[in-house]
Amino acid sequence: MSASSGALRSSLNIGARRSQRLAQAMQRWPVSVRVAAGVLGVLVVVALLANVIVPLDDTAVDLDRVLDGPSAAHLMGTDEVGRDLFARVLHGFRISLTIAVLAALAAVTVGTLVGVLAGTMGGKVDALVMRVTDVFASQNHFLFGILLLVLFRPALGGAGAVMLAVGLTHWPSLARIVRGELMSLRERPFVSAAIGGGASRWRLARRHYLPHLMPAVGLAFVLTVPHAVFHESAYSFLGLGLPAHEASLGNILADGQRSLLAGGWWIALFPGLAILTAAMTIGTLAEYWREHLHPRWRSELEL
Amino acid sequence: MLSAEAITKSFRAATGRLVAIDRVSLELECGARLGLVGPSGSGKSTLAQIMAMLLAPDGGAVRIDGDRVDVWGVRCRRELRHRVQLVFQAPRVAVDPRLRLGEAILEPLAASAIMPAGAEERAELLQTWAARVGLTGDLLERFPHEVSEGQLQRACLARALVVRPRYLICDELSSMLDVSTQAALLETVAAIQAERELGVLLITHDRVLADAWCGAVADIRELSTRDEAEAVAVAAQSRAGALNVLLRGGLRRATRP
Amino acid sequence: MTSLLEVEDLSVGFRTRRGVVHALSHASVTIRPGELLLVVGESGSGKTVLAHTLLALLPRNVDVSGSVRLGGQELLDLPPAELRRVRGRRMALIPQSPASSLNPVRKLGGQLLEAARARGLREKQARTRLRELLAELGLDLEFIGGRYVHQLSGGMQQRVVNAMALVGEPDIVIADEPTSGLDADLVDATAAQLREISARGASLLVITHDLRLAERLAGRLALLYASRIVEVGPTMSFFAGPAHPYGRELLRALPEREGKSIPGLAPELTALPGHCAFADRCPDRFDRCGESIPDLYPAPDGVLARCFVHAER
Repeated sequence: MSASSGALRSSLNIGARRSQRLAQAMQRWPVSVRVAAGVLGVLVVVALLANVIVPLDDTAVDLDRVLDGPSAAHLMGTDEVGRDLFARVLHGFRISLTIAVLAALAAVTVGTLVGVLAGTMGGKVDALVMRVTDVFASQNHFLFGILLLVLFRPALGGAGAVMLAVGLTHWPSLARIVRGELMSLRERPFVSAAIGGGASRWRLARRHYLPHLMPAVGLAFVLTVPHAVFHESAYSFLGLGLPAHEASLGNILADGQRSLLAGGWWIALFPGLAILTAAMTIGTLAEYWREHLHPRWRSELEL
Repeated sequence: MLSAEAITKSFRAATGRLVAIDRVSLELECGARLGLVGPSGSGKSTLAQIMAMLLAPDGGAVRIDGDRVDVWGVRCRRELRHRVQLVFQAPRVAVDPRLRLGEAILEPLAASAIMPAGAEERAELLQTWAARVGLTGDLLERFPHEVSEGQLQRACLARALVVRPRYLICDELSSMLDVSTQAALLETVAAIQAERELGVLLITHDRVLADAWCGAVADIRELSTRDEAEAVAVAAQSRAGALNVLLRGGLRRATRP
Repeated sequence: MTSLLEVEDLSVGFRTRRGVVHALSHASVTIRPGELLLVVGESGSGKTVLAHTLLALLPRNVDVSGSVRLGGQELLDLPPAELRRVRGRRMALIPQSPASSLNPVRKLGGQLLEAARARGLREKQARTRLRELLAELGLDLEFIGGRYVHQLSGGMQQRVVNAMALVGEPDIVIADEPTSGLDADLVDATAAQLREISARGASLLVITHDLRLAERLAGRLALLYASRIVEVGPTMSFFAGPAHPYGRELLRALPEREGKSIPGLAPELTALPGHCAFADRCPDRFDRCGESIPDLYPAPDGVLARCFVHAER
């Protein structure tokens, strides 16, 4: 019986196989995807370990070194009050990425909940919810985000308001996908078969609906992160995001703009490069993932 | 006995309602092999789903061993649902693509909390059913897209039988399959039918198959209690409706940006 | 030159994650002008791969070896553009499902003319040709041309796609599973029309798993099992008594005969045995069957069968 029980055990235990399959999948990645994954991995590790790597204090003001260019002591130079730019960009990257991830999480949560609500209730609830979704979708993300920032910044603070602004503007496309998926899943014969086999609503949701929704939700999350990075930077650049002393990439960029006239090109360049690198690497990975997923989502997920 | 009494079902369509079946009655005895034939679009699959409690009819009644079914789908009592099992016509879409064949076969037991607790018992049960439907080797560990249509339909049959139903409805069990697979599946069904007094309703558009395999054969067009002229009128209307829907669907797809 | 289409020692393998899938191994068949050849087999036997190779519809992850000659011209060496041209002009495909191969939102007249023009006919020529062709199939061009596909019955749709296939006077017409998913009356209509096409003198290659259709079409039959041709010969002698045990067991599985299944499963195409692929399921198996792969040996009535039973004769 041992061979057969082994077969069953492995057929009921997918975990081990899944990591194997991931390893196999990675071997097929094209070079661009591997590079992107590597660079992003380094960036994330560096951002997480910012304090360890750069013992310099990113807020330490040194008026002897105002607007020094890149040098051995200060890899990316210093800003207009003499703070080390390398330290500020690393910290800024960490802050911006954290806010972006949380904001994307908020957007995905809202989108999933709205989609599930519309897809399971159907009828009038569905019609109403989807019209509201249309209203949100028809707004310009950025302008609508600014309105939300102005309204909520006093109550939530800079970081909280940015997350809210991104969260409330980036959910409609996911809501539509989740709703559509649920509607078509409900019509699939394997769901009928599961009902015939005795599955409860809870089991249907957990075992048959959720696993089919997860790729779309996960992909939407990954695609939203670079957007959130852009939005955070843009809001902070305009002075609507984080407080000016916080080293978010957008704030550093705003400082850089002032220093450009004084010849300090490096202050705008390095945070700009950081934003670009983060967005490009995440974008490349997400794009590859999307191409290997459901074709129908490709057009829907043009965020 | 599993009986359908004057079942009516229509579907909403762009041009009004499409009548799929109109006052159709059918009785399936325990231990019997009944064939149900008719052209495509005559409502055979709709009737199958209603009799398997997966689709609520607009009118009429379904009785299982005298118990009248009054709720359908996920709200229906599990014990009742297990008495009638349906094998769907297209195995490719009837198995969750994310479940391995072995998991899919045992899924009804897991869903109904009647799965044996011990891994050994579970494996033995799975092996028994896999052997009965002719699945061997590592097929149980594969995903649906990694096996052939015939192998998948064997798994579907095992999944239906694993809850020990009293009535089995096979909706075009073999219409997409090769003759030898068809013969193998029907042999399995026949063996279990004889062992357990299973009532089998074989739905097919293959009259030759129905005549050869079933004790009795009914044509769905002759099961309706409405009169002939009415039937013709309804059929014509339904066909026109269906075509319009098709055209509109096509137009909508074509004009979408 | 007696053969129109010569397939010689054709092997097709797909490189997949599970290993190489040997979809077709060393297949050789010929079609003479005006002949009807049935390629019969169960799913996974390689019959669809054969059709797709002829039509150059194979995907990229594929290794093809052997030779396919149409009227003496080797097709496998042709550059893709040239191959498409040959395919368009000299071969025609009757699709699996007429209803879904026609555009639902265009009138059929335009679609018919387009098919004719794609085969190099001028507008006026095309009209005349289509009118004749449809008339022969019992349809009127003006009636059909102004209608949409859904306004025709299944039988009429089938005739429209047949007309499309025949309009360029192809050397060979390929029908891929022409009856799959059809109701009995449509199967009748399809069989009748395929016979008509054959009677008009066209060479016809019909790929099917429908044994009843095969019996009604007659002509010659090639039976595939696990990527190899196991029997070739006149269709009538196959149905009178197959020379290969697999053919015999397959016919027994028909519900109107015995409805008896063949025990076991066909071997995986990733791991084909080095001996007769049917040996493990064969009731007549003897020692030699488990040792090497049999050739196609001559059997009675001009049949060739891949079975050692016929090796001694």
